Amino acid sequence: MRRFSKVDPRIGHLLADESSPLRRLGNVHWGPLVAALALSLIGLVTIHSASAELPIDHFPKQALWVLAGSVALAVVFSIDYHRLLALAPIFYGIILSLLVLVLIVGHSSGGAKSWFLLGPISIQPSEFAKLATALLLTRFLAGIKKPFLTVREIATAGVITGVPMVLIALERDLGSAAMFCPILLGLLLVCGVRWRQIFVAALMSLVLAAGLWNFGLRQYQRSRIMSFLSPDEDPLGAGYQVRQSKIAVGSGQWLGRGYKQGTQSQLRFLPARHTDFIVAVLAEEWGFAGVLVILSLYSLFIVSAGNIAMRGRDRAGILLVVSLLSVFCFHTLYNMAMVVGLLPITGIPLPFLSYGGSFTLANCLATGLILNVDFRRYVNR
Amino acid sequence: MKIRHHREELVRRVGGLTALTQAAILLIAGGYWSVQIAEGAYYRELAENNRLRKLTIEAPRGLILDRFDRPLVENAPSYSLLLDRSLAHDLAVSLAFASEILGLTPEDLDKILASHKGTPRFHPIRLAQDLSLAQLARFEVEHLEHPEFEIQTEHVRLYRHAHQTAHVIGYLGEVTNADLARPGSPYVPGDLVGKKALEGLYEIHLRGETGERVVVVDSRGQLIEEFDRLHANSGRDLRLTLDLELQQTAAELLAGQVGAIIALDPRQGEVLAMVSAPSFDPNNFARRLRQEEWREVLDHPHHPLQNRVLQNTYPPGSIFKIVMALAGLDRGLIDPENTTAYCRGYSTIYNNRYRCWQAAGHGTVNLRTALKKSCNVYFHQLGQKLGIDQIANYSRKFGLGRKTGIDLSGEKTGLVPDSTWSLEARGAPWYPGETISVATGQGPILVSPLQVAVLMAAVSNGGRLVQPHLVQNPRLHGPLPDERQLHLEEEHFALVKEALWSVVNEVGGTGVAAAANDLNIAGKTGTAQVITQERRIDNENLAHENRDHAWFASFAPVEDPRLVVVVFVEHGGAGSKAAAPLARKMYEAFFQGRSSHRPSASG
Repeated sequence: MRRFSKVDPRIGHLLADESSPLRRLGNVHWGPLVAALALSLIGLVTIHSASAELPIDHFPKQALWVLAGSVALAVVFSIDYHRLLALAPIFYGIILSLLVLVLIVGHSSGGAKSWFLLGPISIQPSEFAKLATALLLTRFLAGIKKPFLTVREIATAGVITGVPMVLIALERDLGSAAMFCPILLGLLLVCGVRWRQIFVAALMSLVLAAGLWNFGLRQYQRSRIMSFLSPDEDPLGAGYQVRQSKIAVGSGQWLGRGYKQGTQSQLRFLPARHTDFIVAVLAEEWGFAGVLVILSLYSLFIVSAGNIAMRGRDRAGILLVVSLLSVFCFHTLYNMAMVVGLLPITGIPLPFLSYGGSFTLANCLATGLILNVDFRRYVNR
Repeated sequence: MKIRHHREELVRRVGGLTALTQAAILLIAGGYWSVQIAEGAYYRELAENNRLRKLTIEAPRGLILDRFDRPLVENAPSYSLLLDRSLAHDLAVSLAFASEILGLTPEDLDKILASHKGTPRFHPIRLAQDLSLAQLARFEVEHLEHPEFEIQTEHVRLYRHAHQTAHVIGYLGEVTNADLARPGSPYVPGDLVGKKALEGLYEIHLRGETGERVVVVDSRGQLIEEFDRLHANSGRDLRLTLDLELQQTAAELLAGQVGAIIALDPRQGEVLAMVSAPSFDPNNFARRLRQEEWREVLDHPHHPLQNRVLQNTYPPGSIFKIVMALAGLDRGLIDPENTTAYCRGYSTIYNNRYRCWQAAGHGTVNLRTALKKSCNVYFHQLGQKLGIDQIANYSRKFGLGRKTGIDLSGEKTGLVPDSTWSLEARGAPWYPGETISVATGQGPILVSPLQVAVLMAAVSNGGRLVQPHLVQNPRLHGPLPDERQLHLEEEHFALVKEALWSVVNEVGGTGVAAAANDLNIAGKTGTAQVITQERRIDNENLAHENRDHAWFASFAPVEDPRLVVVVFVEHGGAGSKAAAPLARKMYEAFFQGRSSHRPSASG
């Protein structure tokens, strides 16, 4: 009570009451929002530089997407997440039909048929499918109030995740499809699985992977993985991208070559430099110092979102944050690692930094949901 | 209690996973450390030695050819000097070296560099263009010492018959910021684009698509390998309807004068010659005109950039009597033989005295004589009978008062006045006396020489209003719009044509100066007054800018018209003296001396 002694008495009671909206806003952990904002701004600046040799500057469009994302963030923040979870099956249904629709009337881009073209904007439903799947999985697993899951429950969760994943894989967008694994994985690990279940799952995925390699993958996908394993064998093929990316990152050294002065990015060495390889542009122009700044921001996002999960009001809140954070972490860690050659190249963009409308919007929505959980941790139901 | 226990279990697992991600972030930071710091120097060197350079492959602009494939515009090589600042050891030394060869001061070059402040250091900057071969050789010889300088071969437009075709062909100029900002713009700053006339109008057709070579170069600018190549697509040629020889004849005839000559084929409207004088040299524009050269063109008292054939309008003078005659015949107001007027040198209408150019008078005249001798009195009376609104109707039928639709921009519509126009534009009712002036092509009526040519073509071809055009490639202008049929009596055209023949070929005709041997030319002179009759004195004694404009509009041969020639001489005096002889020379150039290789205008 003493903390609020200097506050005008007319609103003092609002702050004193733990369930009053003002007081609750003050108690929200704003870490994820701060990180998201800072990263988005850095992203805009970097996209502008990366656009130098592209036919159009992607900066203005991305700025609009960030604005739209901020509005979307505020909207989902204002609706109690329990109500959103109650609607999860409907979202899930809608998104599945969209995924089917995009297979029929979608627009192809870069080998994947995963876009809806709506006039000047293109929408990628797979980005929103991740959110809908996270919501439905959370709703399903929140109802199980036991320390460990049964095989049957794991299988059900697997089916919920698997259906949209297969649809997206049919769009030939393997990178996006793979992003559903971390949702399931994160939730299962938190909900509790036993060692023997993990062992069996590992064995099964090994068999699946072998089958996929031989029968499921296309030649270019196999060559990408091979090039990762030995990048110098095929310098102008798939390994070329890793190599150019590493040259870009490495030549940045401590402080970088200066804004818009990166030879690798400005001279078109880098592929997809405004999307998947945006961090290579940043690393080249701002050096290791720049990389440390964004890694710290990602760390801030993850740790504060983790804290939000840990102090979540109920199982549903905790699991919702976990599901969203899992995708976020996976995107971030994978992309950052891939750019510097630690993992094979696949089309996984970097949250808040990479150009992309649907992707930016989805990340803003996820941030809004995470803050939503923290905002409602005192609400009595 | 049990639920509480589960919660702690969940929280513990979340904590564990969060910690795991932080470990992963540390690991990734380690990855960046090893690439950027531990191996940073190695990768920096790779980046330095392994550079891509974009070299533009120029797409040659399409040629412009005359109707017999003789080039009017070509492309000639030109050499530019580029500087890659990232390769210069000491920029001051480099600039001193270059400025000495170029004959400039290092400060001049500094200024150029300053204007490229935002450009990355490794993007070459153009320091100079149009290098002489001697300069070129010096840079090539010193290339090892000064690898930062590069020579780029470009092409500049070479206008072969510069002054003679300038108004038709136009010129190139540096692309504007507005053009650059347009979405999908294929241009880069510094590009030359078509600005005026055909170069501007057919920019997309003439311009090719530039290609690009991406090459890997080392830190000394030496080419290591080609990395990527995007082929250039040359621009396409433009074949004109113009006949170069006739065009040159027209230009020579107008040399030293102010005026315009247009020659077209009355059958389809193909323009065979179009000259406006004074003219300018578009080659100067292609080489990025200097300020003072611009001023010289802009401040010229006779505005050489204007195409007088279609961008200026003038009173038609007595040429308008052709429209009057056909209108009177069509309305049945005059009978070619029996309607006569007695000219005693002036007519008195509405208590005003309107003069005939022949102060002594023409005596009794019928339509044929009135046209032949260009008697004003006859047409004063006809004008009074027709009234201004009928006159305006027939003028518009002949295409006056609107654009002809030629494939050049900036065409003026001119003015066909009527009573509505008077109320709207002047806020006063039409004054009937003005009708009498308009009847002889004076007063507020304004036409362009091109409109007169179309009018003459319609008279010569029996009433078809053709669309004049300069480009032959039919795909470019699309199907020509339906020629408009005037629907006037064949017989009336025949009468007027015969009268126009007498203008040139009978004693007493005003156009006898245009008469040529073995060729039946028909025409009409016109003299457009610049100052009112009351103040006028003998034309020769007037100041140049107050002298009459001279017109001569004609076609030949009368029996099967192949060529329409309109001559206009600004402040040239009487059409019979200043304009008609030029037309004759045009016909002579076209019909005589034309042998097997040019059997007919439609070639």
